[in-house]
This record gives sequence, C-alpha cells and structure tokens, in this order.
Amino acid sequence: MIEELRNKARELLKTKQVEAVIGYQRASDGLSAIPCVIRSEEEAGRLIWDAACVYNLCGYLKDFRAKKLGIVAKACDVRAMIVLISENQLNRDDVFIIGMECCGVVDEKRARVSGRDGSDISSADKCKSCASCVPLAYDCLIKEKREKAKVSEDADKDKYEPVRKLEAKSLSEKSKSWKDEFKRCIRCYACRQVCPMCYCPRCVADQFMPVWFSKAGGIEGNFSWNVARAMHLAGRCIDCGECERACPVGIPLRDINRKIEKDIKELFGYEAGMKTDAKPFLACFDKNDPEDFIK
Amino acid sequence: MPALIKMTLRILLNRVKTDTLLKKNMTKFIKKEDLYKLLNSFLKDFEIIGPKQIANKGIFYEPLESIEDLYLGELFAIEPAKKFFLESSECLFHSGFLDGKATVQDAPLPDKRRIIIGLRPCEAKGLILLDKVFDSEYKDRSYINNREKSVIVGLACAKPDKSCFCTSMDGSPTGSRGMDVLLFAVEDGFIVEIYSDKGKEAFSSLGKEPDEHQNKTLSAYKQKRSELIGKNFKVPGDLSPIFESDYWDKVSFPCLSCGVCTYLCPTCHCFELVDEGRKMYRCNDGCAFSNFTLEASGWNPRPTKKERYRQRVFHKFDYFKKIFGENLCVGCGRCIRHCPVKMDISEIVSNAPSGAGK
Repeated sequence: MIEELRNKARELLKTKQVEAVIGYQRASDGLSAIPCVIRSEEEAGRLIWDAACVYNLCGYLKDFRAKKLGIVAKACDVRAMIVLISENQLNRDDVFIIGMECCGVVDEKRARVSGRDGSDISSADKCKSCASCVPLAYDCLIKEKREKAKVSEDADKDKYEPVRKLEAKSLSEKSKSWKDEFKRCIRCYACRQVCPMCYCPRCVADQFMPVWFSKAGGIEGNFSWNVARAMHLAGRCIDCGECERACPVGIPLRDINRKIEKDIKELFGYEAGMKTDAKPFLACFDKNDPEDFIK
Repeated sequence: MPALIKMTLRILLNRVKTDTLLKKNMTKFIKKEDLYKLLNSFLKDFEIIGPKQIANKGIFYEPLESIEDLYLGELFAIEPAKKFFLESSECLFHSGFLDGKATVQDAPLPDKRRIIIGLRPCEAKGLILLDKVFDSEYKDRSYINNREKSVIVGLACAKPDKSCFCTSMDGSPTGSRGMDVLLFAVEDGFIVEIYSDKGKEAFSSLGKEPDEHQNKTLSAYKQKRSELIGKNFKVPGDLSPIFESDYWDKVSFPCLSCGVCTYLCPTCHCFELVDEGRKMYRCNDGCAFSNFTLEASGWNPRPTKKERYRQRVFHKFDYFKKIFGENLCVGCGRCIRHCPVKMDISEIVSNAPSGAGK
C-alpha cells in the first residue's frame, strides 16, 4: 500500500500534474507520523501510510493557495475538503486527492496521556463511530490490502450515545462539569490551529479592540472562547476529532461539537461533508425548516 | 569590548546564590508512609502543590487538599510547575480614584508559604533559568515573592520518556540544580537529599541516615538514570550563520502556529499585558502565534511560521546562550510529546546545517 502511494506521488510529480504532494512521513520517534510536503520524485520515498497517520492535512492546503497540489486523505479528511469546497475556500481542480482506504487510526492522545508508545492502543474514538472507510471523493483510490477494510464494529451503534448522556444532565450539573473542563484551558489555540474549518485570516479571538475572550483572570474568557469556537463550527464540523486530539489538557471538545452536529442532523437532516454537491448548512434556508425551537 | 564585559558581569550576577545552600548535602531515608504523614502535618502551615492524576487527562500540578491525591509515579505532568511562579494570568496592579486623585496600587502578593512537590530536575533547572530573567538586573516582585515563598521538593526521574533529552542540555534525570530537596523513589520509601536551608527546615526532623546498602542504591540510581536518556546530541555553538538558511522553511512546514510548545515549556516566559477594567494583567503569550509580533501599523516582522519557528529555536539555543551562558531549554521533552503534529525540536536543532548557506 505504501509503495503504491509512493509510486502515485512519483507519477504525479513527474507528469507535473501537481507541484507538491502533502502527506505523512515518519516522525523522529520512529513510530508516529509527521506531516510533510514532497516536492520532487526523489523525496517520494519518505511518504508513509499506516494507522499512525492521524492528522487531517487539509489545513496545510491554505499555505499553498492557487497551486495544484496532491494530498493524501482519509475518508474524514475528504469530508473536510468537501466542506471547504462548498465554502469556496478550495477549488476542486486545485487538489488531486489521493484517497486512502482507512481502517481507523490510533488513539495517539490516549497513548500520550498514559505514557505508552501507541502500538498497543486501539483505534481513536472518532473511528469507532465512523461508517465509511472509503473517501466520498477522490482522484485515485489506494486500497487497503487487508482482508476487509472495515473501520469499526461499533459503527452501527447509536453514535450519539455519549451526547445523549450529557443532555440528560441537569443544567447546574452541565454548568459545573464544563466549568471544571474549561478552567484547564491554557488558550494555546491548538484546537483552532489544527481545525481544517478554522481558516479565518484573523480569528475573533485575536482581535483586541475590543477583546472578545479575555485571557485575564477567571474562566469567563475560556468559557466564551470554547463555546464560540464550537458555535462557529455549527453545520461545518465533520468530526475529524483533531481539536480534541490536539488539546494538551484533555478538554473533551468533541462532545460539544457532536452535540451541535446531532441537533442539526435531527432538526434539519443535514450532515456536513456528506454530499459533494451540498450547499453550506447556513446557506440553505428552506421555508419548511422547523422553527418551534425558537422561543 | 564593553559588550563582553557586560556579558561577563551578567553571568557573574546570575550565579546561583550560594548563601542559602548547605555546605554539605544531607541525605536521609524516609519510608513512604512517613513522608505522607509529614506532608499531612504541613497542610495547616503550607499550601501543598503536587502532581495529581486526573482520569483520561493525565498528570496535573494542583494545590492538594489531601495528600492521598499526590502522584509520585513515573509519568510526567503535562504542564510544568512554571505556572506557580509565572502565572498564566496574573494581576500586576490596579488603578483607581481616591479623593479626586488617580492612584495606582500594586496587586497584593500572596504570603502563604508553599511546598511544591514532585518537580522533576528539568523543571527545577527551568526555574534557575527563569531567575536569570526575572530575578537579576530586573527584579520582578511577584515572581521573586513566589520563589521565596516556595520550598521545592523534587522527584528524581525513575523512567525518562523517549522524548526526554536533559543530558544534552547539561542536565540529568537526577540533577539537583534548583532543588531544595530531592526525593529518590527506592523500593520501600524515598532517599531524600537536602540541599538548602529551606529544605533543612522542613525535612531534617524526619527519617534516619541511610545505611550502606541504601547509599549504594542511590549512587547506582544516579548513574543508571542518565543512561536511560535515549536522545543525545550537541547543539551547534553558534546558529547565527544559518539565520537565512532555507532549512527553517523546510523544518517549519508542519508547524500549526499554536501555543502548545511555548505554554508547556518550563522556560518559555514571553507575556503580554492585558487591560481588564482598571486592572493590568500579565498573561502568557508565545512566539509561535501569528499575531505575536503584529504591529499597530499592520506590519508583521515575522509573517510566516518560518520566521516564528526560527525565533523559538534562536531564542532558546542562540540569543539566550549569548547573554546568559546556557541554553534556554532543559530537555524535558514536553514540546515534543505534546506537539499536535509531532515536531521534534531536538532533531531540528541537532540536524541544523553547520555553515552558512543552504
């Protein structure tokens, strides 16, 4: 599978179909992956593909606007690209998607927290509720050689079960538990930087006239930052789980994202990045949309 | 030459203050339950801060309400103990009006003494490096107060992580620099080395002299731990010839421009000042952020991650070394462990091209 990927990258670079290929190479620890950009045929041997390739590489596309690029992408990464295309942030003709059939990636975060090296850690949580191992769109597909590429046994289960559990809590319980979570936030903005959907040239959190989310004293700033981040992803988040993975202090950010995702799915039947020709969620008003939740 | 004289003076001024250090280290042996009993008895006079294991999140330094929560195991805390000395957000002063006149008042300093337990040798060394900035020519009242009020009780590393590289930064998993007391976890308790008056005051009353067997264990422990550090490299003496190199473009590609590495670093100390009502706060800031050097005119001298990542490396391994004589890095490996895209500063520095050019 890796050779197939490398050959494809070589071919794309040789025939000048792309200027560079964004992919994964081995990190210094010999086990994890690190994003890399391949600009020549000789470098293509550095590309790797395995369960350590956790990152969503779409964010790097904005470093190369208006250039023709190849990108190594899993099913969830392609969902992100579909949203970016629908929001006019990416031109479909500018990317050559090397789709990878994916059986789930490792839970790199759990490995880090428990001090293990990751080789004995099962799939990431996001993979457990993922139903598709083949990307929705691609220019070429590199198939998994293993017997049956299936992401997860749990895919058919109710994937919003954790969200329902949260919803069942009382208002004061919810408030307390989120305050406990957000007091740890160090405002490193890793969640924003790693998010493929956070592409604003100037984030509202970086504005200081006025300051919207103060870093000074108390947790109010942390609270509003985390809530605003999630709300800006309403109808756009494709649950790649990168924010939660990147968060160094372990705030369960996916829970907030998925609560919004679930509401939108139940109310409007919309799922971000699942149809290549869909309009952005907030751009598709329909007069039959339910409005009984507006009070 | 004046620059050189100034530099030498600075280095002299910044030498560790030896007056508080004991002439001869004291070594003791304490059983685990005795140590916990002792710490319990400190709870009413001291604030006790130590690592605590939090499910699904990892290890965090927190003020402990009960000594039972104290975690003295192998895993490393995610945030360094730096946050108790250089707080992530801290009120410096507040202004007001009194009898028709404008007043400015310094924020009150906490006066409760505290014991910070479980610091690793790399973090304690980080405090010595911060002293060079906040307790030398410029005296930072709140930082110095935090330092004076704290007894540092370290814990020698039992099992270094694969991202640790303290030995390449002139440190050691059993180093005593910056410690008042250092604990070595051995089979049935802790061997305790006491280095300072502060440490002696708190810890000399307990335990007994270690026997010969325990002394042997201690010296074997010290030797073995350094050998467990997998990463070993030499920092290039002078990075300035490669300032303009393409190398920085290449290695900074994966960087997300987030603040994980700077905020979790035991030595990074950049900050910004934030007005909040009539209070002036000092808050964490980091050179990896794109708006760190953004000027009011709209011009940004470090517009891309290449310049920003290079700044981080140069501050640590070039500028600071030229002024204070050592690297602004203790090799704790946090920036490697927690980097969302697994960038490795040790690899980047050790592979830096030696000459000018590409």
